[in-house]
Amino acid sequence: MKKNICLSLLVASSLFADTAIDEIKAQLEQQQKIITQLKAKLDMLSKKSEQQENVQIVQNQNKSSSFSQNAYLPDIALILNMSAVSRDVANDDYEKYNIPGFIDNKNTQNTPIPFNKNRGFNLNYAEVAMHSTVDPYFEAFANFHLHTDKFEIGEAFVQTRSLPYGLLVKAGKFKSNFGRINSKHQHSWHFDSQPIIYEALFGPDAISDAGVQVQYVAPTDTYIMIGAEALQGTNKRSFGEESGNNLYVGYIKTSIDIGDDLSVLGGVSVAHGKNTTKNTTDVYGTDLTFRYQLGSYSSLSWQSEYLYRTKNIGTTTNRQDGLYSELIYQYNNNISTGIRYDAIMKNDTDLQTGYAGIKTNNLERYTTMVEYKPFPMSRLRLSYTYDKTKVMNLQRKDIQEVMLSLNIAAGAHGAHSY
Amino acid sequence: MKKILLFTVLLSSLAFGSIRVDTTYSTLGAVAKEIGGDEISVSVLASSKYDPHFIVPKPSLLSKLRRADLLIMNGGGLELGWLPPLIRNANNSKIQTGAKGFLDMSHFINMIDKPATVSRAFGDVHAEGNPHYSTDPYVVLTMAKVIEKKLSEIDPEHSKIYKANLDKFLIEWNNYLENLNAKMKLCKNKKVVQYHELFNYFLKRYNIKSYGNIEPLPGISPSSKHTIELINTIKNNKIKTILQDVYHEKKTAKFIAKKTGAKVVIIPHDMGANGSSSLKEFYNNIATNLCQ
Repeated sequence: MKKNICLSLLVASSLFADTAIDEIKAQLEQQQKIITQLKAKLDMLSKKSEQQENVQIVQNQNKSSSFSQNAYLPDIALILNMSAVSRDVANDDYEKYNIPGFIDNKNTQNTPIPFNKNRGFNLNYAEVAMHSTVDPYFEAFANFHLHTDKFEIGEAFVQTRSLPYGLLVKAGKFKSNFGRINSKHQHSWHFDSQPIIYEALFGPDAISDAGVQVQYVAPTDTYIMIGAEALQGTNKRSFGEESGNNLYVGYIKTSIDIGDDLSVLGGVSVAHGKNTTKNTTDVYGTDLTFRYQLGSYSSLSWQSEYLYRTKNIGTTTNRQDGLYSELIYQYNNNISTGIRYDAIMKNDTDLQTGYAGIKTNNLERYTTMVEYKPFPMSRLRLSYTYDKTKVMNLQRKDIQEVMLSLNIAAGAHGAHSY
Repeated sequence: MKKILLFTVLLSSLAFGSIRVDTTYSTLGAVAKEIGGDEISVSVLASSKYDPHFIVPKPSLLSKLRRADLLIMNGGGLELGWLPPLIRNANNSKIQTGAKGFLDMSHFINMIDKPATVSRAFGDVHAEGNPHYSTDPYVVLTMAKVIEKKLSEIDPEHSKIYKANLDKFLIEWNNYLENLNAKMKLCKNKKVVQYHELFNYFLKRYNIKSYGNIEPLPGISPSSKHTIELINTIKNNKIKTILQDVYHEKKTAKFIAKKTGAKVVIIPHDMGANGSSSLKEFYNNIATNLCQ
């Protein structure tokens, strides 16, 4: 059956053969023409795309220069702090002020006043702050204070980032975590002046020295941090014995939240060292901070610290204590206002010469401020101070001061801790 | 006796999830919980009633980070102002940048609105692009996949469970997306303005055009000049909706609404805001308020 069909098909096709062959030949010629045209087109296109590919490869290669390390540059920030000051004391008198009973006797030691010294205008400092992750194990920080005629390494230290058991070690020159405000830089304070008890006991840089710090955070629901530091103790106001390192600091801090909005942070600290008379100085501190969030940009915070020092100078042991307490109301992301009371209460005189006839205790100061931040990086602050803590020309002198200060932090400036 | 005590302690720690996961924001936390299930315990660092850029780095957050096995952050610069000092002082080597227990979700997201030039002259711009990607309900799929991979890497013992949870969740979420898409069809071609560019990912997903922002520049408070310009824009383009988040001041939006007749609607920027207590509620809340 199949064979029959095949045969008949063959016969039929041969009948039409002659005309069909001519047609097929013509078709074939046409197809070949199309093929050559398409081939030419293809060649052209592929050449073009090759060229494009070449261009792209060249561009990609040029994107990175062979030895560029730009991605590893540290974060660098420039912090500028300046002020305009109006004060009811002439500059040459103010330069010689003393806090009665403390070692910073400007007549004998001529310690310069670091910030806002002049009636008129002050450029307090230009600070260069740097931070970088060194490698998987260390982070490095440095703050260079540039004054008009002085370069100062404020801080320069490394700290670990991969120790187990909740430990962290810091080494270099750094601000101690003693108390609450001690580790904060001047530009992050809520008032331009340092609390008087800190200024009296430690001077403008507070406890800041070369040394080593170890901190431990407990693995608990409540924040508990314990720290210990061994420092050189070069600060002559409280320490300064020079035969070796002499200062040891320890502290414990804890914090609880009450709801989403209220947080409380408290701590106790102790600094134990040897002073220039080779005898012992102990400073005890306790601090307490409440912060209540009223919204994303609004908060009320109350921060207080109390410090007590015993300083043995061989013949006798002097005792001093003081505190500050500040209340800050942040109205929105632009405006905040605050008030601070700071004082030295108990004050056994520290100087061999004494202050015959001058009362050295109950030194008080009141400060109030309002600040305007157009953006988180800039801050204008207007403050008024009534200062009853100073002695000039061997007399207690009350000082009134109005100050407008400007602080900016430009560039890559890291976030501040709590 | 001691053995029994030890055993019960071990058992209870297992019951509450042996892997501790911290996330910076709630949406990330909710997705992590979907994948991790009972194997993980999740704690969220930032409360969603606050501006995600300005979270207060409270010490209590340090104790959360101290014990975390995994930290999942949003990235794209959103945590720049509060998270770095916390990571540094939590003394936990597991969650340092570059460590196994550190996950920056933005590395897996196709970020939009990348600025051509970056300068603080333009306000608080993010060089990496707009970091508010979690308003896009499709991003949840990416988050889920990335978190599954990370959890399996940290805790390979339970990787099968994570994979099963992921598969289940993807089916569920894709179904949900179909529902949401159907809902969103009803408000095609909607025109809006917003306070801050918080909702661009959601708006882009559903072809809704935003004509401007109440803040003149990112992170800068409204100015009267800019507000008047915006009022004109709203009038000229017949815009009916002003998108307001939960944490910015609402006075300016209300003022603009009064002048233009447009309506102020409050939209959550993160799960938990505006009373949204689950992932679905979060996106439903956006959709319902936006389309009303």
